[in-house]
Amino acid sequence: MSSEAAKVVVPESVLLKRKREELWAAEKKTKAVEEKKKSSENIKVIYARAKQYAEEYDAQDKELVQLKREARMKGGFYVSPEAKLLFVVRIRGINAMHPKTKKILQLLRLRQIFNGVFLKVNKATINMLRRVEPYVAYGYPNLKSVRELIYKRGYGKLNKQRIPLTNNKVIEQGLGKHNIICIEDLVHEILTVGPHFKEANNFLWPFKLKAPLGGLKKKRNHYVEGGDAGNRENYINQLVRRMN
Amino acid sequence: MATTARPLVSVKALDGDMATDAAGVPMPHVMKAPIRPDVITFVHRLVSCNSRQPYAVSRKAGHQTSAESWGTGRAVSRIPRVGGGGTHRAGQGAFGNMCRGGRMFAPTRIWRKWHRRVNVRLRRVAVASALAATAVPAIVTARGHRIESVPEFPLVVSDSAEGIEKTAQAIKVLKQLGAYADAEKAKQSVGIRPGKGKMRNRRYINRKGPLIVYGTEGSKIVKAFRNLPGVDVANVERLNLLDLAPGGHLGRFVIWTESAFKKLDEVYGSFEASSSKKKGFVLPRPKMTNADLGRLINSDEVQSVVKPINKEVKRREARKNPLKNAAAVLKLNPYFGTARRMAVLAEAARVKARKEKINSKRTKLSEEASKIKAAGKAWYQTMISDSDYTEFDVFSKWLGVSQ
Repeated sequence: MSSEAAKVVVPESVLLKRKREELWAAEKKTKAVEEKKKSSENIKVIYARAKQYAEEYDAQDKELVQLKREARMKGGFYVSPEAKLLFVVRIRGINAMHPKTKKILQLLRLRQIFNGVFLKVNKATINMLRRVEPYVAYGYPNLKSVRELIYKRGYGKLNKQRIPLTNNKVIEQGLGKHNIICIEDLVHEILTVGPHFKEANNFLWPFKLKAPLGGLKKKRNHYVEGGDAGNRENYINQLVRRMN
Repeated sequence: MATTARPLVSVKALDGDMATDAAGVPMPHVMKAPIRPDVITFVHRLVSCNSRQPYAVSRKAGHQTSAESWGTGRAVSRIPRVGGGGTHRAGQGAFGNMCRGGRMFAPTRIWRKWHRRVNVRLRRVAVASALAATAVPAIVTARGHRIESVPEFPLVVSDSAEGIEKTAQAIKVLKQLGAYADAEKAKQSVGIRPGKGKMRNRRYINRKGPLIVYGTEGSKIVKAFRNLPGVDVANVERLNLLDLAPGGHLGRFVIWTESAFKKLDEVYGSFEASSSKKKGFVLPRPKMTNADLGRLINSDEVQSVVKPINKEVKRREARKNPLKNAAAVLKLNPYFGTARRMAVLAEAARVKARKEKINSKRTKLSEEASKIKAAGKAWYQTMISDSDYTEFDVFSKWLGVSQ
């Protein structure tokens, strides 16, 4: 009786299935090990890059101060180069708009009030902004604005979906082919309007900001008239602090 | 379709039969026909229409008056009204469906289409399917027949049953076969029909019991089983879908006689050979030759090209604000920790350096001078506190005296 029990007939398909499952398990294991190795290497790369950028920003600040001092010593003035990067926020709602300005705001991806986008400065964008001036507030963001916006309200466009930037993997998936693999890479690309600014900016979903704490002065007027619309150059940073 | 090994169905011998050593009758091909409840419901519904008797209202109903409308101007509605006088009926509305005693809306007519035609092949396919269902004990039990004590399915009885003449003997035979429970259930279920049918010559209803199918024409078996409530008898050459699937539900309990069972192959043919009794009729082929999904899925042919099973559920990562949550920042920017630490240290160093620088620039008081200064400060403290009230806690708070 015991010998009969020992010779249990196992169907061939079951044996094959078992072998296949072992193969799959082995594959899965090797893949997991590989991935872990890659991610640990990645962290080192990301650390090095972040450090490099931090030094770069510091150097830039110091350089600016130095150049200004030099010029002052010589009795002249240092004129810093014109800004390359703009941050545009839509400050008016959606009703009663001329169709042409509506279209331009759509092209700028500002479809909702208090939506913000980064923008490269060139003839084309300046002219577009001129057309929609009464609907937007814009200016030149600094490092803190860019970094805080991307860290707190950064979402990426992956597969047409709005995915939060919780992990550098999200960024790598979206912009890996442009050698942008972490959030600091992204911040650097935006801030210094690098060669892949277009792709990096398009990857970022338009920022959904909150209504500014402390309020706006007067939406209807231009900034120079005591209102809020139009170019407010460096004072956009204060507005971003209140809206982020 | 390859001729699969057909199981043998043993024939039940009744009391008084000669003991035979027959192995049994091979299962007829009909019993392997595909079971199609959809076809059966369709055909059953249509075929049930065919024994209907027409009903209609009388042609003249509601029109046996010479009513005419009074027209306008008489402060009454314009419905035709019965003429004449001296009776209640005079002046009452007539003809309309809304009038009392008027003709109904759309009076029912006898030329309504009562019967439905069904394609011959469809009818035959339905019967074949119903027969196949009678061979499956699960379906028969599901239909509600009491077949717990039936020894074999399908139940085939020797031909001596066809010679039974008396109902008492019929009952004995049923008991021998274990089929009496079903017949008894039918007998006990006789009751009065709910609804108007009871006053329309359809007073009593009962459940269906077994269906006895016999093979030879003119058998006495019909008369023997005729009086048992719920039990029906049928000749194998004239099987009725309404008996095989009563109410459109598959799986009537059928008791076959040996000759009837053997005749089934003649009457219905097989999957290749057409039937001899039904011209050109070949049994319908099933859509899948192997309907066992379990075997199909677990077969090697399928499993060899299947991807590995993925049981991990990808849930979305909880989004934490990197400007507030330390773990979230470090996940995104591993350099943040060192940067913050360096900044803190630098700030501390800067504060310290500034303090030292200021201190070094301050004029240093000599020891004597600093003592005098300290004494003066202490004297001032005693001056500002009111000694009368220093015992009371409440006042010491106002006075700023540190006790």
